[in-house]
Formats: sequence, C-alpha cells, structure tokens
Amino acid sequence: MTTRHYRSLQALLLLLLGLFLGSRLWSGQITWYINTRFLPLTLLGTVGLLVLARALFVERAQPLDALHDHSPGHAQTDGEGEPHGPPAGARPWGLLVFLLPLVIGLVVPHRPLGSEALANRGLSAIAPLRAGGADQPLQLALAPTERTILDWMRAFNLAEDPSAEEGLPADVVGFAYHDPRLPAGQVLLGRFALTCCVADAMAIGLIVEGAGLDQMVDNAWYRVQGPIYLASLDGRPIPLIRAEQVQEVPMPEQPYLYN
Amino acid sequence: MMARLRVLSGKVWHLPLGFALGLLAMAALAGLRQAPQAGAQVSVFATVFLGIFIEAVPFLFLGTLASGLVEVFVRRELLLRLLPTGAFAGALAGSLLGMLFPVCECGVIPLGRRLIRKGVRLPVAIAFMLAAPVVNPVVIASTIAAFGLGPMALWRFALSGLIALTVGLVFSVERQPQRLLQPAPLQGGTAAADGAILRTSLRARVQQSLQIAAEEFFEMGRFLILGAALAALMQTLVPQTFLLGLGSGPVLSVLVLMLLAVVLSICSTVDSFVALAFARAFTGGSVLAFLVFGPMVDIKSTLLYLNVFRRRTVLYILLLTFMLTLVGAVFVNLYLPWA
Repeated sequence: MTTRHYRSLQALLLLLLGLFLGSRLWSGQITWYINTRFLPLTLLGTVGLLVLARALFVERAQPLDALHDHSPGHAQTDGEGEPHGPPAGARPWGLLVFLLPLVIGLVVPHRPLGSEALANRGLSAIAPLRAGGADQPLQLALAPTERTILDWMRAFNLAEDPSAEEGLPADVVGFAYHDPRLPAGQVLLGRFALTCCVADAMAIGLIVEGAGLDQMVDNAWYRVQGPIYLASLDGRPIPLIRAEQVQEVPMPEQPYLYN
Repeated sequence: MMARLRVLSGKVWHLPLGFALGLLAMAALAGLRQAPQAGAQVSVFATVFLGIFIEAVPFLFLGTLASGLVEVFVRRELLLRLLPTGAFAGALAGSLLGMLFPVCECGVIPLGRRLIRKGVRLPVAIAFMLAAPVVNPVVIASTIAAFGLGPMALWRFALSGLIALTVGLVFSVERQPQRLLQPAPLQGGTAAADGAILRTSLRARVQQSLQIAAEEFFEMGRFLILGAALAALMQTLVPQTFLLGLGSGPVLSVLVLMLLAVVLSICSTVDSFVALAFARAFTGGSVLAFLVFGPMVDIKSTLLYLNVFRRRTVLYILLLTFMLTLVGAVFVNLYLPWA
C-alpha cells in the first residue's frame, strides 16, 4: 500500500466518522448519548473530522512527510518518487479500530438506556443534586404537576420539611421497572439523569403504588398521575405515587433528564 | 538502531490489537454467560461506548489541532526560552500550563507529547499532562459551579497541582529521558522542519497544522476508541451498586471512588457534577480523590499514555498518582473537619 492509498483510507475513515456524527445530530438521536448542552461541541467535532478528512485528501497530492519527517519507518520512496508504505510505523490494519464506532453504531440497534441498564447501575435515591446551585429555588418553585421525577427527588431532598410535599399532585413520565426489592402492587418508574454523557447516567425513580400495576411492562413508558408521598427503599427515602391514572405513552423525544 | 526503533514501533501496535481481541473475547464470554439478557447487555454496551466516543471526539480534535498549531506556529527556541529549565520551576510551570490550554485529558495528552517532541523537558510535560485536565479555566469554573468556592474546590486544585508537581520532579532525576518514552516521540527532526515550515505561506502552514492534527488523531484516536470500549464493557459488566455498597470508611471509601473514577472515565470538564451525587453518601476525602484521580488516570487516558511513554513509565506514573491521591484523600478524611 502506498502512502497515497494509506492517506486516502484515513481520509475516508474520518469522512465516514464525521458523517456518522452528523447523521446522529441530524436525526436528533444524539441526545440518546450526550447531554443537550454538549451539542455545539459535537457539531464542532463533526466539522473538525470533515476538515481533517479534507486535509488528508489534500495531502495525498502533497505528502507532508517529504517536508516534515524523515524518520525511520516514515514514508520511504521506491526510487521512482512514489512513497510507499504507511508512515511512522503505522499499519493499515491498525485503522480497523476506527471502524468500531461505525460498526457498533450501524449494526447494533440504537436505543437509549432503559430498564435493562438499571439492574446494573442501581437506583440512586439521592442523586444527582447540585449543591448550592442557583437553580434550586426555581426547581422547587415549579408547579407540582410540572415536576419531573428529577424535580421530585430534588424537592424531597432539599425541602426543609419533606412531609410538606406529601399529598401534592404528581404527573410524571418514566419507564417501568419491576424491582425485585419491591412488594407486589409496586413498580418503579425510572428515568436516567445525565450530566455529561451516558457514561455518567444515573438511574433515578419513584415508586408507583396501586391496583393493576402488574400489567405494566418493563422498559415500556408510562404517564402516572396521583398524589405523592415519601416512602423508603433499602432504608433510603424515595418518592411514592399512589397511582390514580396510569397511561402507556411513547418514549419521550428526550428520554433522559439533564442535570 | 533504526531496525530496533522499527521493531519497537511495531510493538506499539500490538497493544491495541491485543486489547481489541481481549474485548471481543470478553464480550463473547459475557454474552454466553448471560444469554437471556445478551441482547440488552450489548445494547447498553453500544450506547455507553458511543456516548463516551461522541463526547470525547471534539476534545480529541481540539487537542490534536492545538498540537498541530504548536508544531507549525511555535518555534522550538521560543518554547524552550519561555519555559524554565530547572526541575522544580519546570514542573511547577508544567502544572500551571493548563491555564493556557483548557482541554481535558483526551486533548492534553497529544499536546503534551507534542511539547516533548518540541524539546520541552520531561518534568514540564509530565506535570502538564497530569495537572492540565484539572488546573484549567473550564474545569475550575465547573468545579466552583458544582461545589462553590469552598474547601472541596480549593483542595482539588491544590492536590492535583501538588501531585503533578511531585510526579514531574520524580521523573526529573532520569538522566536519559528517552528511555521513558515510546520511540515515536523521538523520531523526526522538528528543529529542521521549523525553518522549512516557517518559510511557507500562512495557508500552507494551516494546511500543515491540519495534516499533523489528522495524523495525531489517528495515533491517539485508536487508544481513545479502545479505552471507550473497555470503559463501556466495564460499565456493562461491573455492577456500580456493588462498588458503591463496598463501604464508607476513611480509606475504603477513597479506594472505592478512585476505582469508580477509573471505571466511569468521565471527562474532567464535567466530573464535578457527577461527584456531587456521591457527596452525601461518601466521605469528603473520597469525593476529593474521585475529582483528583479521575482526570489523571482512567481507562482511556491510560491507553493514551501508553502511546507516549513506555509501559514501565506509565506504570510508575499510575502508581505514584494513585499513592499520592490516596495519601492526600485519607489525610483529608482523618484530619480535616469539613470532610
């Protein structure tokens, strides 16, 4: 393989990776992987990959090696001016690693984290809360029926008297998870809260209590309405809804809550 | 000598291949062991892997771009004249250099390697690579946003800087720094290239910067991808509930959160907000350890280090950083009232 071919292969890989990121941005599914506030950075990364791909395409005609590096293992000429061999000890098969994100992204059906990840990560009854953040009073000031699961957790964690929150009407959306620690008649309604990307996703949730909940299917999404109370799970406080109405709904466009 | 360099540089490639094969084998094993849930587990792995990769790509791009710009636009003589030559002053300068380059670990390692190639002394570069992911304006702002300007934020910056300074000083005693490095950084004559590059037009120099950045993106990117895959695999297979339930003593809690920092491999620009989740359940020292150790050592940064330093050097860096963080965090737990 000549240096020209090697550079072409690199440029093609960067182009494909850039297009892959761009397609996820375009489809909106990028929010299944990262916090929405990082979208401008991802756009920068996408443009960056395309710019680098172009730079390598240009280099095919003007090899940088001739000017920049004369090290051992760097592009050697075959005596006729055409560099051959990949530069700097690189091997073409080493580029296969860069196919990994593409293969995983295209072959594995993409979907956001759901209840299958909850079993491994566990449910956080205390996270994620910003200490001393200026936004806390605002969160508590939200009307009860507008609060998300995350807002309810914050409300119960930050309120001086959590019992004052009891009895307020809740209207929340989340995925169902039949936690083995819960008795019959109770189901967890969960969401994942993201700070940065899914690597730091924390499962949060509240308990739904009521009749007929056995029909709720794990990982399906539900809207649950009813008064909220404080319960405990493994000795830790957790909000509980006495369900008055349970309705299956499609997965929200943004399945995660953002911290 | 040239043949030896070639052999060594070939060996560098064996590492990612080994990791890739190991990953595949582990993934296959995990799939077999949990056959009923295999599909769901693969889905979780894919989502977490892509999450880490997508999050890290812009930072890696910025780091390699900075590296390319430094290579083409900053003359070696200028760099060497600006940076102190003494071991202590050099390591101290390296610890603070991150204030000029606000990138996290994915970007700082290629830039650090570029500095070494430019002739910057090893203590400066090592201190820079360790400290910059924390001691930089973006991370300082995010830490203060999360914890306020209190002891946690101040201790984070101080302990990170101190560890970077100490590790930098330790490596300053090595008389032949080349023995610590992978062969690749020794190759090439940047000083010779400087003159040639500076004589070309601005457009050509930008193009050259981009070409260098692209080349580095491939050199570092493969480690980032493998690191992301390994971190995602760990997250899929190792129950976090098990880790978090291990204990909350002054030493064990520190060890648990250090391990968690390695497993999670979160970008240092946002790890403060994640650390807050542990602030109520864990000791102050352990949260501090999470904030100090994570940016310096995690799965992906370790693989990136292996592309710069020899394995033994990386092992020393990891051990020194681990021990110093542990001592610092346990000290905080035992002797400081806020923890």
